[in-house]
Amino acid sequence: MKIEFRDVTYRYPETDILIFQSLDATIEGAGFHALFGPSGVGKTTLARLIADRSLPFSGKIETPGIRTILYTYHTERIPGWATVESHLKHLVLPSQEELLSKLISVLGLENHLGSRFRQLSMGQQNRVNLARYLLQDFDLLIMDESLANVDEATRERIILEIKEIFTGRSFLYISHNVAEVARFCKEILVIRGRGKRPQTLCLQGQDNTRKDDPDRVRLEKTMLEIVHAA
Amino acid sequence: MLHRRLYQFLLVYTLGLGLLLSFKYLLDLSDYVIPGVQDIRKAATSVFFRYLMDTLDTLSVAVVGHLIAILMAGIVGIIGRSASWSGAFIRAAAYNIQAYPIVAVAPIIFILFGDGMVSRLLIAAMICYFPLLLSFIGVFAEPVTDIEHFYTATGRMNWRLQIGIRAFENMAKLTTVITGSATLAMVGTIVAEFIAATAGIGHSIRIALYQSDLSKILVALFLIGIFNSLYLFLLEWIGKRIRVRLDPPTGGRGARRGRLILKGKEIRNPI
Amino acid sequence: MRTFQRLQSSKWLMLLLVPVCTLLLFTSCTKKSEERPDPIRYRLKWLFNTSVVGDLWAEEKGLFEREGLIVEVKPGGPEKDAIKELELGHAQFGVASADMVIRAVSKGSPVAVIAQLFQTNPLQWIYRPGETEIKTPEDLRGKVIGVTFGGNDEAILRALLAKYGILEEEVELFSVRYDYTPFYERRVDLWPVYRNAQGIIIKEKLEGAGERAAFFDPHRAGVPFVANSVVTTKEMLQKSPEIVEKFTKALLAGWEASMAPESGAEAIALIHRFDPDTPLNQIEQQYAITKRMVKPSADFPVGTIDRAAWQMTEQIMVEQGLIPGAVGVARALAPVISR
Repeated sequence: MKIEFRDVTYRYPETDILIFQSLDATIEGAGFHALFGPSGVGKTTLARLIADRSLPFSGKIETPGIRTILYTYHTERIPGWATVESHLKHLVLPSQEELLSKLISVLGLENHLGSRFRQLSMGQQNRVNLARYLLQDFDLLIMDESLANVDEATRERIILEIKEIFTGRSFLYISHNVAEVARFCKEILVIRGRGKRPQTLCLQGQDNTRKDDPDRVRLEKTMLEIVHAA
Repeated sequence: MLHRRLYQFLLVYTLGLGLLLSFKYLLDLSDYVIPGVQDIRKAATSVFFRYLMDTLDTLSVAVVGHLIAILMAGIVGIIGRSASWSGAFIRAAAYNIQAYPIVAVAPIIFILFGDGMVSRLLIAAMICYFPLLLSFIGVFAEPVTDIEHFYTATGRMNWRLQIGIRAFENMAKLTTVITGSATLAMVGTIVAEFIAATAGIGHSIRIALYQSDLSKILVALFLIGIFNSLYLFLLEWIGKRIRVRLDPPTGGRGARRGRLILKGKEIRNPI
Repeated sequence: MRTFQRLQSSKWLMLLLVPVCTLLLFTSCTKKSEERPDPIRYRLKWLFNTSVVGDLWAEEKGLFEREGLIVEVKPGGPEKDAIKELELGHAQFGVASADMVIRAVSKGSPVAVIAQLFQTNPLQWIYRPGETEIKTPEDLRGKVIGVTFGGNDEAILRALLAKYGILEEEVELFSVRYDYTPFYERRVDLWPVYRNAQGIIIKEKLEGAGERAAFFDPHRAGVPFVANSVVTTKEMLQKSPEIVEKFTKALLAGWEASMAPESGAEAIALIHRFDPDTPLNQIEQQYAITKRMVKPSADFPVGTIDRAAWQMTEQIMVEQGLIPGAVGVARALAPVISR
């Protein structure tokens, strides 16, 4: 599994704003990777380019070994005509019911199944939304701030569980939380601020799992690398 | 809410009548120009029941015409929502047809369908259809990206689901425009009856106009106002009930059971 | 600023002031127009066509000016009611049908008839003589007859049916509008038309299609329902008799001149100038028929008020329940020019 950017240039349609110029980068292997960078640098844009190659960019984005790419973001909503449970149940095959139960437990949704999406808090909404994407058949799931508004401890638990359940699949996690990215992600593609060259840097994260005890020194070093790179 | 609607109408009617009578007495006009209180009372006594039946007849046609208009606007809105050539053509055709005044189109309708029920229905529907169409096209053509993204990305999106999402997300807007267009349906039916039909309150108004009998017209206006207020109230009530059923403010019956319940029946999730 | 705030704080006062000001404005406008001698407004019943040839003649030939009057001849229409305009002061003279006059009188309107333009009501029923035989009014039995519900043709027809003992169940009344398709499609046997207007156009169309056309005239069947007459208010008659007299004199002179044998071509050209949509050959026919109805013989004075016909018209309206009771319409008849 690989995500490879070769000489990618992209500007916003009908503007002169150049977002990427001859961008080259590679993320390799299954696992939990990250896309990091200051606000407005183009993380979401790059994620969308990966998910939708029909967008007007030049260069090449290749994803060998990746068949299905899904992109989810934190402001997505679910229709309000039915309950969360009803929506989730309609998304699973009988063979996936066990996975659904597990995800409901991992994401802490047990008490919200009878509610309408609108009635949930923003953090709960994001977890429900993530649940339905995790129930899909995907090779790469791009999570654009998908755990925004979720408290740190819950976020940590969810990421660790996802890594455990979905081994062999790829995730590209977009977040502004340096510590989180440094600790849990395998490869961190940092998109650097405007004018910096090279435009991206690929760093190695700690890729901690539930079994690992975080190494504070290495973690801090990685965090510093990320901050300096950005 | 019903009280408010009726009070509002009665207030407007009384003010209008008061103004007319003020003109009459101030300018010393005869009952031929503006009828006096006694004349209106006499007219009310003699035609009230007949006009009541006529108004109910008109209202029933208006309701059916309104339903047809909602259906027509819905269908054209669904077809016309797409950015394709056919969608653009349908939108342009719908706008152009509406640009013609109904009095110009009416003779063609009467030649094709005669001066009976069909023409009344069609004209009523045509008059209230355009504001509905504008809203329907507006609603159906505007993507709700935050909801639709998942279904598009996972290949689950179909036209029914898309319409469902867009209609549900704009439920308040749609119910408001449907309620608003009800008055136009009533006006459309009256116009059709006035122009060609041989039944309904529009026909009675036409006869009263031929006979220069303003007192009868005032009675007709009173009944039209009352029944129009009732119809608007009914639509508002239905709209409110639908909104509460589909999207209960705090859970609701459907929510507790984790599924959509409408009119006692479980509606399968359209996903 | 303070004034504005004060005004804002007294919304109720504003609410009261708006209708009062509107009333005052309306009143002042009305009074002004009543007091102002010139121009005199003369509201016709219908648009400019052959039926108003005398009115147009009087205006175009300067007959009003010759009497020292400035007259504005204004076209009528379906929504115009000359009698109401007279009362409101928007016009000083007008043309109204007899049923309008009688209805107005029954409701206390101070209307006065100063001349009767049409001696025969031009309202007749067109039919196809080959297919529909109407030799006597009794032949109406079993026929589908077009009628404008609420219009004076309904009153005339009902009077006719009553006069000849024909029950409503013995005929089928068909509601008539501006569209003649039901008649062309033979769904209706007899269709009401103004003999001197649409009558000619429809007849021409039928003849063009190889069919024949004939007219059923209720007047000949003994129902003389009076048609258009010139009206003013009783107040005008009392306060400005000289204006009424001059106006009537000029107007009737216009009618007389337009009906004179030597004026035919000029009158037709005049009508065509005001009514360019109607072909000249049709105007010629319309003019000939109008002439018969307005001036039945060479020595018949135009404008003569047929009192008996008016009383008959009133009687018909009472019998048909169109007015609550007799109104004594004769009191509203005030022929200005006695001959």
